[in-house]
Amino acid sequence: MTSIIKLHCLSGAGEETPPCYVLQIDEFKFLLDCGWDEKFDMVFIKELKRHVNSIDAVLISHSDPLHLGALPYAVGKLGLSCPIYATLPVYKMGQMFMYDLYQAHKNVSEFDLFTLDDVDMAFDRIVQLKYNQSIEMKGKGLGLRITPLPAGHSLGGTIWRISAPGEEDIVYAPDFNHKKERHLNGCDIERLMRPSLMLLGAMNADYVQQRRRLRDEKLMTTILTTLRGGGCVLVCTDTAGRVLELAHMLDQLWRNKDSGLVAYSLLLLSNVSYNVVEFAKSQIEWMSDKLTRAFEGARSNPFALRHVQLCHSAGDVTRTPGPKVVLASFPDLEAGFARDLFLQWAPHSHNSIVLTARTSPGTLARDLIDNGGDRVIELVVRRRVKLEGAELEEFLQQQRMNVTNTVREEVAGISSDSDSEDELEMCVVTGRHDIPVRLETRLGGCFKSNKRHHAIYPFHEERTRADDYGEIIKPEDYRLAEIVDAEGEIRDVPPTAPIKQEQDEEMSEVPSKCVSSVRQVHVKAHVEYIELEGRCDGESLLRVVSQTKPWAVVGLRASEAALHTLKKHCESEGIEKVFLPSVGETVDATTESHIYQVKLTDGLMRGLVWRQAGDAELAWLSAVVAPRTHARESDAAPEEGGGAVSLEAGAGRPRAAAFVNTVRLHELRAALARAGLQPDLGAGTLTCCSGTLAVRRMENGQVSLEGVLSEEYYKVRELLYEQFAIV
Amino acid sequence: MTTNPRKGTDPVPAEESDQLTIRPLGAGQEVGRSCIMLEFKGKKIMLDCGIHPGLSGMDALPFIDLIEADEVDLLLVSHFHLDHSGALPWFLTKTSFKGRVFMTHATKAIYRWLVSDYIKVSNISTEQMLYTESDLENSMDRIETINFHEERDVRGVKFWAYNAGHVLGAAMFMIEIAGVKILYTGDFSRQEDRHLMAAEIPTVHPDVLITESTYGTHIHEKREERESRFTGLVSDIVGRGGRCLIPVFALGRAQELLLILDEYWSLHPELQDIPIYYASSLAKKCMAVYQTYVNAMNDRIRRQIAINNPFVFRHISNLKVYANKGIDHFEDIGPCVIMASPGMMQSGLSRELFESWCTDPKNGVIIAGYCVEGTLAKTILSEPDEITTMSGQKLPLRMSVDYISFSAHTDYQQTSEFINILKPPHVVLVHGEQNEMSRLRAALEREHRGAILVHTPRNTQPLALCFRGDTTAKVMGSLAVDPPKEGQELQGILVKRNFNYHILAPADLNKYTELVQSEVTQRQSLQYAGSVPLLRHVLMQLAGHIDFLSETRWRLYSCIELTIESSTIVLEWRAGPVADMYADALVGAALSAAALAAPAATHPPLAPKLDRMHFKECVIEMFQDMFGEDSVPKMFKGDKLYVTVDDKRADIDLQSMEVRCPEEPSLASCVRSALQHLHAALSPVRPPPGAPPPADS
Repeated sequence: MTSIIKLHCLSGAGEETPPCYVLQIDEFKFLLDCGWDEKFDMVFIKELKRHVNSIDAVLISHSDPLHLGALPYAVGKLGLSCPIYATLPVYKMGQMFMYDLYQAHKNVSEFDLFTLDDVDMAFDRIVQLKYNQSIEMKGKGLGLRITPLPAGHSLGGTIWRISAPGEEDIVYAPDFNHKKERHLNGCDIERLMRPSLMLLGAMNADYVQQRRRLRDEKLMTTILTTLRGGGCVLVCTDTAGRVLELAHMLDQLWRNKDSGLVAYSLLLLSNVSYNVVEFAKSQIEWMSDKLTRAFEGARSNPFALRHVQLCHSAGDVTRTPGPKVVLASFPDLEAGFARDLFLQWAPHSHNSIVLTARTSPGTLARDLIDNGGDRVIELVVRRRVKLEGAELEEFLQQQRMNVTNTVREEVAGISSDSDSEDELEMCVVTGRHDIPVRLETRLGGCFKSNKRHHAIYPFHEERTRADDYGEIIKPEDYRLAEIVDAEGEIRDVPPTAPIKQEQDEEMSEVPSKCVSSVRQVHVKAHVEYIELEGRCDGESLLRVVSQTKPWAVVGLRASEAALHTLKKHCESEGIEKVFLPSVGETVDATTESHIYQVKLTDGLMRGLVWRQAGDAELAWLSAVVAPRTHARESDAAPEEGGGAVSLEAGAGRPRAAAFVNTVRLHELRAALARAGLQPDLGAGTLTCCSGTLAVRRMENGQVSLEGVLSEEYYKVRELLYEQFAIV
Repeated sequence: MTTNPRKGTDPVPAEESDQLTIRPLGAGQEVGRSCIMLEFKGKKIMLDCGIHPGLSGMDALPFIDLIEADEVDLLLVSHFHLDHSGALPWFLTKTSFKGRVFMTHATKAIYRWLVSDYIKVSNISTEQMLYTESDLENSMDRIETINFHEERDVRGVKFWAYNAGHVLGAAMFMIEIAGVKILYTGDFSRQEDRHLMAAEIPTVHPDVLITESTYGTHIHEKREERESRFTGLVSDIVGRGGRCLIPVFALGRAQELLLILDEYWSLHPELQDIPIYYASSLAKKCMAVYQTYVNAMNDRIRRQIAINNPFVFRHISNLKVYANKGIDHFEDIGPCVIMASPGMMQSGLSRELFESWCTDPKNGVIIAGYCVEGTLAKTILSEPDEITTMSGQKLPLRMSVDYISFSAHTDYQQTSEFINILKPPHVVLVHGEQNEMSRLRAALEREHRGAILVHTPRNTQPLALCFRGDTTAKVMGSLAVDPPKEGQELQGILVKRNFNYHILAPADLNKYTELVQSEVTQRQSLQYAGSVPLLRHVLMQLAGHIDFLSETRWRLYSCIELTIESSTIVLEWRAGPVADMYADALVGAALSAAALAAPAATHPPLAPKLDRMHFKECVIEMFQDMFGEDSVPKMFKGDKLYVTVDDKRADIDLQSMEVRCPEEPSLASCVRSALQHLHAALSPVRPPPGAPPPADS
């Protein structure tokens, strides 16, 4: 049987563009991930459009825009209509990512690549899966089975395993982390034995990672020194993926009384921060064993973050007095609040900007990582300003026209259901899109308080604390002025800038327009790159390849140097088929596999002598294909009875014995020691009986037994043979 | 591998391993202490490990002493109720059990607090206690969690969980061993309620369905009717100035009742002066669990939770309960509604309140769940005139007693529908009183006439079902290049793993599995002081033919190399049964050569081939022995010969080794095989297969 296996790379091959591939297995086509880069590359979309209609299923591996960014466009604008498979957290968090991305762009520009409806439509197509839940494809893909396996890296992150008939096993692992993290378990990709094809994100193949503790310490020192110096720290992170690890880590840090951080504020800023934390709270079962156990033990939800203030606008940040740490999206600094804050804070040397991820080349964050700070960068500043004067007049005029038009249409009986932009914006607030912004959570458990409350007007007594000199003055209260000052220094920002705070809430009502300008920003702030991507490092990546021993490897989404490292490693491991495609190329990984099914008769099974080898049992089978009995075949189950022939015991032909298993010398040594032969192990040679007998491991994996003729020779040989399953 | 399980009605199984044994150690024709053993193909699986709520101490345990705990591979716990999980800490810490335990995340989180509460409230002496808080604590790490629909594999036993609807985290387990699927429902309900989803219907058809039968042939009233009857009753009782006691399990159905009452109160402002208490510190503890594992609940809750938490109640207050010390700041002054645990009023707060209120006819008790025989709740349902208190005193029962079943167990309608869809050939009923069970059995058998077999094993009584299936294997790699033909020989290594069989050529082994084929070479040296020609002579007599690679390196049997160094012989060969044997023979020969005195003259080397004359003599002698002195001619020329037996003549050609006897084929085959064996015995030995081809010297 020959399965056609082809991989067409739409993006993310030979370079660090987002992953998006078409995997064809016989007639069935999978779209593996559907990422879109930070700049919304339309060339890629054009390429995707050519394939959209032939796709039968989409597999999404992570929740960030890198892996599913183009999904709303593909579903909403290109008409992708097949089922999409993703794990439950990827579904929930992916939606948060896309809402945030949309909102971040909408806040500063006329963003029209996709709408929130497109996002919802795309996510409605998602079939939510659990880890290790196998799904059988139907129709053309009969016999194909997909299974999501935990990948680490992000909540719900997935390594996909696609099993095709004929024992073909394809593993798609674009991003994974074998190490345990605070909120996630590591993946166990090593357990996938001998996949026939491994699609591997090789970005980190030549990447040397600092120890996690060092990186954590670096982050903590940066935060502490900056805060103590009176500056603010901007940690650029994502919306709902890596941010969870960061938020959890920092919250723990704040809880630690010795850290001296309690006095400062810790803010989580994104358009959906409340929802992200709420969803994280209800997905404890997807997190690390340690967290689940802590939850069972203490019943305190690890994402009931005590010290993290959830913010939904840049205004919330400015309103918080004093030095602070802000976790803001997006990590690339191309959009979102992170960019706004960067523009505000970068020109001041007492602030720090922490970059946590290597985003695509060409983004601001990547530029800062590669070229460092302390220089003048030319940036495009886009923002939304209120309409004023003549423009406002014109807009209102337009509106009025529109209204009369609609009225006229309604009169004419035409449904006005085609949602106008305004309606859509309203929906955001009313919760049709699952993002009701609710800051206040009721404290005090789930039951009514026992105390009776009498109806009185609410009254809050402001207690003023006083010492001998009168009312105590808190210096922080006056710090606010400094920050406003700092904003003032940005000359280009007209005084309307802070109004942006309100725009969030009133965007739909306040007529506005988007302007963009180019500005020179002198980055004086301390720029620190602390890698917190949660991907596995180069060494481990290569080890994964050695351990799983795939038949063929496709190296994806990596620089040339990384791919070269991977290729060299694969060659040294004896993997012949290594593909390193570039964008637009198609890899033909078709393998010819021979397979058929037979029935084993009872007589045959009874005659077998089983030997244990690892977790398997082996036996030498010597059989004859029995004549078919057509009468029985017909009443047996037709779907499998059709092809199966049965085997009967047959006479043996002479043959060579097969030694299965590899010998571990130290295990053999233990066995010899038990037999009282006093073995001695050194330099790949096991000697015993005062050096007259030696067991050696040759370079080619062979084992040699040498020695003089003696009784011990046969004893050692017997013990050596016991290490094998000899069939 | 797939097997075709056929209906196992054969009383005597053909093979021991084809027999699936289902043996309830608890919950067999009773309710409580669920514990069912499955045994198939050498795998032992325990389903649930509960205690009997009506009994205490060791009596409450299932009959675990009938099995060897250390042989159990896997233990699956369906939900957190004590009659399904209560014996688990005991089983984990006090027995030799070393298998793996699985439950869902929500079950594990609640189980911990529920059992801990059980330890606190069970007022029995410490000797009788099955386990302590620290036992529970220590055993928590052994429990692994499984998400719904997640497939796990433990030593070849594949299993996964479906939502069962009964309580939060309740699961039905589908277990697959060697292609035979068994569905254990635990407690389940196919009716969606306020917070839980209805039990899912598996997409695969099980071969055996092990289902609960708590409600037998009852049919539940509609949810709406039930709820309005309940709220009506509650408002009646408080309306007449009475106190309303609702004994409930602390967790599970209580949450449903809280949701109903909270909604009813908020719709009826006139009732809002009457307090509702929920007297359970446990429930308060576990609310965090309810707020977290919303993904195991129904869509309604999942949607609502994004906006506000339905488990934040406005009209229900919590009463703090201290173990055996009554309730803190609760003034029993007027009408109120109290929900208190335990649900069957065995002891604890619900019992206490019941005893202090039962004499006043204004008061009322509403039994909202299932009650087990032997508990007070069951007793008062038969409306006795008086009851016995915990202290042994008799009290008249004057308060109103009502029974509204809120327990989310399947009823006849649901069970029957479930079976209709799944069509299992075997249905095993557990978790039901004997009468209910036999009624259900009769009803099911009537409805599904002949299509299913219903079994109701009693506790400890094993039920044996037989699943005869064909063993199928996949032939792969170079063996499978050509499609199979009739009569074709097939040889290879059969790899068996988790009931999957693959047939591979030895060379393909490391291609398709992680198993590695290795080689062992041996190098044996021995002292030999004798002369080389003598050695050569002896070996030639033994082996027949020697390849002389050089003066001092010879190859024997085409697989063993012999090197002669000064007074030592070194034998080198690739290990294998046949080569080892040859090597041993050579060693023996060499040793005997060393023992021989060096002869004066060199012997002429013997012809390393078959001596035809000798062979002919032997043939004649053999046939004379076989068929009598006269059956063969004493002398013959050439290679033609005949044998006469009973006037039948078989012609033999010694050159081509052919035997012909048209009249009597059996004689021909007999003669032929005798001849072949003789020839094999006399001709020189051949090298073993797989020996390396002679190296070019």
